[in-house]
Amino acid sequence: MMTQISFLIMGILTVFLSIMMITRKWPVTASMILIIVMMLIAGMFGMLGAHFSAVAQIIVYAGAIMVVFVFVIMLLNLPPEELRYGRITMFELIYIVLGFLIALFLGTKVGQGYLLSVLNSQTLMNSRPPYYPDSMNENVKNVSALMFTDYLWAFELISFLILVAIVGAIVIAKKAKVNDAKSS
Amino acid sequence: MPSLPELGIYFALLLFIVGMFGVMLRKNIIFMMLSVEVMLNAANLAFISASSMTNTIDGQVIMFFVMAVAACEAGVGLALIVSLYREKSTLEIDDLRMLRG
Repeated sequence: MMTQISFLIMGILTVFLSIMMITRKWPVTASMILIIVMMLIAGMFGMLGAHFSAVAQIIVYAGAIMVVFVFVIMLLNLPPEELRYGRITMFELIYIVLGFLIALFLGTKVGQGYLLSVLNSQTLMNSRPPYYPDSMNENVKNVSALMFTDYLWAFELISFLILVAIVGAIVIAKKAKVNDAKSS
Repeated sequence: MPSLPELGIYFALLLFIVGMFGVMLRKNIIFMMLSVEVMLNAANLAFISASSMTNTIDGQVIMFFVMAVAACEAGVGLALIVSLYREKSTLEIDDLRMLRG
């Protein structure tokens, strides 16, 4: 009961802070709030039994991605924006309503039973011994064992994707400079 | 009182909605990318909750992959933003409509 109440408090705080984040005027303020949101989500991961994911969330998201965001915001030296909200069009409204309906269906007992039946029908899941999150002390071992056996090809593809992203980021950010040198 | 993974699914839904409204309502590219990060975090939370709900660990591995893809997306997107700001010196998407004809 105590863990559920603290999980509830963390979740409500996360949603509230993310609402604060999308209504801020300065980008740096929004980034700082987003770092707090990611730390809270990492806490929720830890309470759900995914300790490795919690640590990776803090290191990768709050440590690396948000630092790059803040660095770029400070590099651009942006003026504060006056808040100009857009209008929501009819199509977007239809998407929102459909998404709410699907989410409400998946939130009911029928929808959850449907999801679990889909998950359990996969022979991949059934061929493996079940993992019980209550036995906490082997989380990293289990994750890495699964990642380097069943998901080995996905892991290799992800590493290749990161290589492509590095080269692409350098090429894209460099191109404007080359054009400037040519035009001047 | 619902169990912890169910609460996680509900909060993932709420976070995803907040991120979606951020992408649709804000007109600044930086804020739109920050909202995309919130949406990716909501997807990660849903993966972890499902992993905890089904007593499997696949969701945690997939969450790691989603995180790597998010890092790539942030890197390339921020490079695009820097290049675009050098070119046009604005980040309002209403002023950057050259792809819309």
